[in-house]
Amino acid sequence: MRSVQDEIEDLLARIAMGDRKAFRALYTRTSGKLFGICLRVLRDRAEAEEALQDVYLRIWDKAELYRANGYSPMTWLITIARNIAVDHRRRKHRVPEVGLDLAEYLADGTPGPEALTIIRDAGDRLRQCLLELPSDRASIVQSAYLDGATYKELSEATGVKLNTVRTWLRRSLAQLKECLSR
Amino acid sequence: MTGPRDHQGEMLPDLPGGDTALCAEYVLGLLSAPEAQALEARLESEPALQAEVVYWAEHFADIADTVPEVAPPPAVLQRLELRAFGSARPPFWRQLLPYLVGAVVAATVAWMVNFSGLLNVGPEAPHLYAELRADERGLQLLAHWAPDSETLMVRRDAGDLPEGRSLQIWILPASGTDPIPMGLIVPEQLTEIPVPGALQPLIPGATVAISEEPEGGSPTGAPTGPILASGSLG
Repeated sequence: MRSVQDEIEDLLARIAMGDRKAFRALYTRTSGKLFGICLRVLRDRAEAEEALQDVYLRIWDKAELYRANGYSPMTWLITIARNIAVDHRRRKHRVPEVGLDLAEYLADGTPGPEALTIIRDAGDRLRQCLLELPSDRASIVQSAYLDGATYKELSEATGVKLNTVRTWLRRSLAQLKECLSR
Repeated sequence: MTGPRDHQGEMLPDLPGGDTALCAEYVLGLLSAPEAQALEARLESEPALQAEVVYWAEHFADIADTVPEVAPPPAVLQRLELRAFGSARPPFWRQLLPYLVGAVVAATVAWMVNFSGLLNVGPEAPHLYAELRADERGLQLLAHWAPDSETLMVRRDAGDLPEGRSLQIWILPASGTDPIPMGLIVPEQLTEIPVPGALQPLIPGATVAISEEPEGGSPTGAPTGPILASGSLG
């Protein structure tokens, strides 16, 4: 049995050669996950559909670069989807709605239901390590990734000065790394 | 593992987390443009830093993994394929990729020799394509030379054939000799023309042309009607 990773890697190799059938197969296999990510970041179906098209166009154009940077194939795809969705979101200069959620988490000091779900389901080690952070710091990390929140937005959402948010986040990231490498 | 450390003052001294946090911020897209550029410049010469970036991308992807999957509507794939494939086929070099990176240098050399017409086309020769468009009729055809089956195929992608007339396929060799009649386009199905061995070496680099002729084809053996479309096989 070949692993899903091997299969996707194989499809990417064929797409790099311009294989349209492989492109369709990759789309069939992965579009649910990547559309979910676009939808989560953009929170708007029409915008998420636009972003998804850009994601697969990028994959079609850049598949030959996949091997160059050492990512696992799913991470490569997820990273493209997340980054393009975040680009779309930032281009529209919309304040992320999660800013409010984040303020809520911060108000009572516990993560909102969504943040809890994410923490519960995330890869085992990452989940453990996020749980070791104070919950408000964990939700800042998640918001930075899943909302593509900028420091400016994080600062507005938390009512804390930009440099302070940055210091918090960087300290949290160093703690995460320390925990993950244990 | 990498802890916080100094690196030629590229990082603000009062920010905690060192390179680890810097790489994570990069993956999150939180760095300013100059900060991101400075990091990218270092990535090329510092493999450990590149590994740190991959490390964070992998871990953050675990967060994305928790987002529920949602099937996109079918129209998205259709629009996407139109955008990806619609305007043109993938650039020619991409079709060459298997030959260039196939790790078999001999195959590459053989292919290059074939392509420059020094040898007969062998069984490993590449498939060649020519897009043929007759704009005023909206006619779009794709010619495809499949050396392994020794067949020239012409597919109609769009447009109507003229009533009561035949469309004839010609090969114009790169050497500039007279057009060689290959056959008539078969309406409503893929036209498949077996190419005799003697003609095969003429195909790479040749132009495919479509002329409008009386029903049954040119009576003279040379094109008599207007050339509706032509394109070179590459």
